[in-house]
Amino acid sequence: MAPTAPTAAKSASPSQPSGKSEVADLKQQLRQLAGSRAPDADDQRRDVFKRVISCMTAGIDVSAAFGEMVLCSATSDVVTKKMCYLYVGAHARAHPDLALLTINFLQRDCRDQDPTIRGLALRSLCSLRVPNLVEYLVTPLTTGLKDPSAYVRMIAAVGAAKLYHISATACIDADLPASLKALMLSDPDAQVVANCLHALQEIWTLEAASSEAAAREIETLYSKPVVFYLLNKIKEFSEWAQCLVLELASKFLPSDNNEIFDIMNLLEDRLQHANGAVVLATIKVFLHLTMSMTDVHQQVYERIKAPLLTLVGAGSPEQSYSVLCHLHLLVMRAPMLFSSDYKSFYCQFSDPSYVKKLKLEMLTAIANESNTYEIVTELCEYAGNVDVPIARESIRAVGKIALQQYDVNAIVDRLLQFLEMDKDFVTAETLVLVKDLLRKYPQWSHDCIAVVGNISSKNIQEPKGKAALIWMLGEYSQDMHDAPYILESLVENWDEEHSPEVRLHLLTAVMKCFFKRPPETQKALGATLAAGLSNTHQDVHDRALFYYRLLQYDPNVAERVVNPPKQAVSVFADTQSGEMKDRIFDEFNSLSVVYQKPSYMFTDKEHRGPFEYSEDLTNLTVGAETTENVISAQRYQENDNDLLLSTSDKEDNGTRASNGSSTSTYNAPSDLIGSSLISSQTPAETSLINTIGPTSSSQSNFSLDDLLGLGVTESPAPSPPVLSLNSKPVLDPGTFQRKWGQLALALSQECSLSPQGAASLMNPQSLIRHMQSNYIQCIASGGQPPNYKFFFYAQKDGATAFFLVECIVNTASAKAQLKIKADDGTAAEAFSTLFQSALSQFGLS
Amino acid sequence: MLQCVFLLSDSGEVIVEKQMTAHRVERAICGWFWDYVVAHAAGDPSKVLQVVVSPTHYLFQIYRNGITFLACTQVEMPPLLAIEFLSRVADVLTDYLGDLNEDIVKDNFVIVYQILDEMMDNGFPLTTEPNILKEMIVPPNIVNKMLNVVTGKSSTLGSKLPDAAASFVPWRTTAVKDASNEVYVNIVEELDACINREGGLVKCEAYGEVQVNCSLPGVPELTMSFANPTIINDVTFHPCVRFRPWESNQVLSFVPPDGHFKLMSYRVKKLKKTPIYVKPQLTSDSGNCRVSVMVGIRNDPGKPIDSIIVQFQLPPLIVSADLTANYGTVDILADKTCLWTIGQIPKDKAPALSGNLRLEEGLAQLHTLPTFQVKFKIMGVALSGLQIDKLDVKNTPNAPYKGFRAQTQAGKYEVRS
Repeated sequence: MAPTAPTAAKSASPSQPSGKSEVADLKQQLRQLAGSRAPDADDQRRDVFKRVISCMTAGIDVSAAFGEMVLCSATSDVVTKKMCYLYVGAHARAHPDLALLTINFLQRDCRDQDPTIRGLALRSLCSLRVPNLVEYLVTPLTTGLKDPSAYVRMIAAVGAAKLYHISATACIDADLPASLKALMLSDPDAQVVANCLHALQEIWTLEAASSEAAAREIETLYSKPVVFYLLNKIKEFSEWAQCLVLELASKFLPSDNNEIFDIMNLLEDRLQHANGAVVLATIKVFLHLTMSMTDVHQQVYERIKAPLLTLVGAGSPEQSYSVLCHLHLLVMRAPMLFSSDYKSFYCQFSDPSYVKKLKLEMLTAIANESNTYEIVTELCEYAGNVDVPIARESIRAVGKIALQQYDVNAIVDRLLQFLEMDKDFVTAETLVLVKDLLRKYPQWSHDCIAVVGNISSKNIQEPKGKAALIWMLGEYSQDMHDAPYILESLVENWDEEHSPEVRLHLLTAVMKCFFKRPPETQKALGATLAAGLSNTHQDVHDRALFYYRLLQYDPNVAERVVNPPKQAVSVFADTQSGEMKDRIFDEFNSLSVVYQKPSYMFTDKEHRGPFEYSEDLTNLTVGAETTENVISAQRYQENDNDLLLSTSDKEDNGTRASNGSSTSTYNAPSDLIGSSLISSQTPAETSLINTIGPTSSSQSNFSLDDLLGLGVTESPAPSPPVLSLNSKPVLDPGTFQRKWGQLALALSQECSLSPQGAASLMNPQSLIRHMQSNYIQCIASGGQPPNYKFFFYAQKDGATAFFLVECIVNTASAKAQLKIKADDGTAAEAFSTLFQSALSQFGLS
Repeated sequence: MLQCVFLLSDSGEVIVEKQMTAHRVERAICGWFWDYVVAHAAGDPSKVLQVVVSPTHYLFQIYRNGITFLACTQVEMPPLLAIEFLSRVADVLTDYLGDLNEDIVKDNFVIVYQILDEMMDNGFPLTTEPNILKEMIVPPNIVNKMLNVVTGKSSTLGSKLPDAAASFVPWRTTAVKDASNEVYVNIVEELDACINREGGLVKCEAYGEVQVNCSLPGVPELTMSFANPTIINDVTFHPCVRFRPWESNQVLSFVPPDGHFKLMSYRVKKLKKTPIYVKPQLTSDSGNCRVSVMVGIRNDPGKPIDSIIVQFQLPPLIVSADLTANYGTVDILADKTCLWTIGQIPKDKAPALSGNLRLEEGLAQLHTLPTFQVKFKIMGVALSGLQIDKLDVKNTPNAPYKGFRAQTQAGKYEVRS
């Protein structure tokens, strides 16, 4: 029925002749129809409009027909109207002058008898997004908010938010937020209420950055009367509006426990909602409300377990991954509460591997004395899996469980069975684990060594596995009969072994073996050291040389260095810090959970808030990889600048500007000390090395800079502090977080750090200590070079008022973004001065 | 809040583009997404993660019948909100257009635009109840087309605004006309099970749905109760179900929407019995692997077990496979999946598959043993044992016709070897 313009649809490029002629043809037809009063003109118009829209969808540039479309827009056919609105909305921005022509008929439609037409026209009017048409928008919006039809009011409410995006002042001047608020608290229609709430949140959140009044208004949104009013109506709302209200409720701070229980009783049935988004939003409310009540918090976990597990299994496959990520977060926080549900986390063959991976991690976490046997049995099944990465993961999982548990006996047996499976990667993974196990439980060495000794090193291809085997050969050479001979044969094949990791381990193992069984190893040792010395890999060469000189100096010292008495490792380092996990937990029911990173690590500061979009499309980053790319690109650019500048400019640049370029230009000598690799290097190359290993000897760079007299800039004269701070303020993280959520933004500023300060920030602890000496305490910090984030707090001396600061430091640009919130807003300015002077002193003292 | 929704065809072409906010999302994002799909899932969008991050936007996607529903945002938002919304869009479109595929969407893109316009405003979901939408935008069915031809009126727009937008039961239009006065209840269960090498049950769970097809006049009041509600471990309800009666007496009390809907879904865990057994045996020596699989009824559910299919992935490193069955047909597909279609189990013999796999040169034994996936269907019984006790309908002028059905099918039913 619809002519879809087949030829045009195929050729997506507007430059294609077929597309061009199509548009010309359409223009022609529209012109003919414009004034036509023929009885079938409406139908014809509709057909042509359809073709225009279909061209638009196919990516053909139909903006040339704008004038003709507007001419044809005077029609009574609603569908044609809708298509016209769609077209106008898409192209008005590019044709602000022609868009003026549409205003007329849209305004007339806004006064139509039919509420549908009124609503549609109003929506389209607000979607034009042409700044110079704002004046025509305000009146229809104000009347729209008072319209007798709920449909129109609901569109007008959202329209107010759209207007704010086009022109904030127009929206505020017309006092639309106040009308929205009144409507929100009085309108009988739930969807109108929800849309008002949505619009108000959007407007006030953005407005709060510059206006204190708006910040206070946000607070009233989170106040008891509003939250309770909305919660009491919750069943009337659509499921999406419920999500909105629940999100609001999760930020509400109840004054006493009764309020908490009231809310939870009211919302309990939301956990049974068919829409997963509602269920997760409810869970978030529950978790946040009970944060301070440990035992109730635990009961909440018990309560939400079943709905979550149901969502994972029964929901659509698309949902289950997101839900599983949230479940993963909860399991990692409170593994013991899930220990009886371990079967829910068994992997099914048909699960995609990203789901299996999450499940494996959860199985590992919830293993305890009562279920270890079943879980390990299950994990062993996966070791024979066709999916090699999952098989590897499950072997590692078995190892991790072994490292967690007291009764390792059975697990060690299982691990050793893996070695008998005679599969290359299984053996390699298992060896690595056995090595770790031995480091923690040396008492198991006899059992393990008996099996490990039978493994031929020739069968292991993977460097990690090979290195683990060699480590065990060296460490337990006194117990393994033929260890020296195996090592010797490995040394003979030195040239075929390309991995530096294996070579390093081989060097150390032969040394260890030598001190335990000298006569048998002496020959091998000589050969190893010789091979190591002639190696081109820096580390291997250095270690061989080091051993050689050590032996030359004093064999007894060498023995003490190589074979010291070892303590069993009690805890292996955790990869993700507890603070980070807490942060993600606070952001429950958001993308953070899916990415397993707190949002500040992937959203940019420009659009961290829920409503701040970015026009700049280059700065969205998730994961360290991307960040690194960005940094290096930045540094290259800086280097280019350096090369272009004259020498004097360069010096200037080096002292004044960023850490990145100053070190790269002047610290070549310090890098020379660090590694003899660098002999003659251009600044560009040095900076490359800096990028790879940013922690390398920042201290020495700094002192060298000092020595050369380049780094010391004149410290800005600190303004005398008008405010004195309490030297030992006390604030616990929970309160901090609550205050942070509650308080309005008092100040938002950018200030700069001294280059030395930026350089010392390679170690964030130094800044924390420095600020402490200024009576400003750090409550949380995080981030990766070059972006660090700190949360500080301080207390006014002799008062209870706290100052809270979010400080984002970029070491590359030596700039810091400050966001200050204060109990006492009037003192915020003074505190900011104090804070900035403290910050600017950093690295100079 | 979503900034844009795209519908993409099977080849990554944009079928529909709907901008939601002032911040226009460039089409280039679809190109990026498609490159990602090609790179990570060989061009199959159903195998890509549902939440993807591009250099400029966070993307949510679901895949239905050859169409990818892609949504973009730049800000933090609940991921499930986006995914649920996209699923709803797909459901509503399917409902409207009768089916969902590229051609149907292209033929009806005007309707699709109208629907999207009502479903989301400024990036936040608005009206998603099919009943209400249908009053605003009339579905393109044959009756309407006929009417248009006869009356000469051609509008796909409802003549008036729905009352339900302001009513307290948003899922139901206040006046259902020409109802046939019937209600059908259907219990559909999926059995997930995992059976280990020794034949032991590792886990067995049932996920069930109570589907209702309701065609009742006026505003009917329904109450439904189960004979054995205690076996249910967890439930989720359609918004129409009142929570209190369930909580206190395990009774479902509700005013149903008109037409087909999912009244509740539930989970029953720790089931003890599986209806059929599948016993695979693989023994390998000196480059050959003997395969034998036996299938039979273990716990007779009392109704015939239908459409039994056993399938497994042939292990890698196999040169040839020679598999035959004494009943049913054996197919080896191009992706090395072996499909044994049994259908019903005959009365006179036990179906068995046997044969030989030749391993690659130099390989004496099989290291990875396949997992057998089993499909079946049983009409007339819910294997969890859930039974409807009674269904009362009030507030209708005449006693309606009530119909009940049940069925169970295999979900993730896996047997390890």
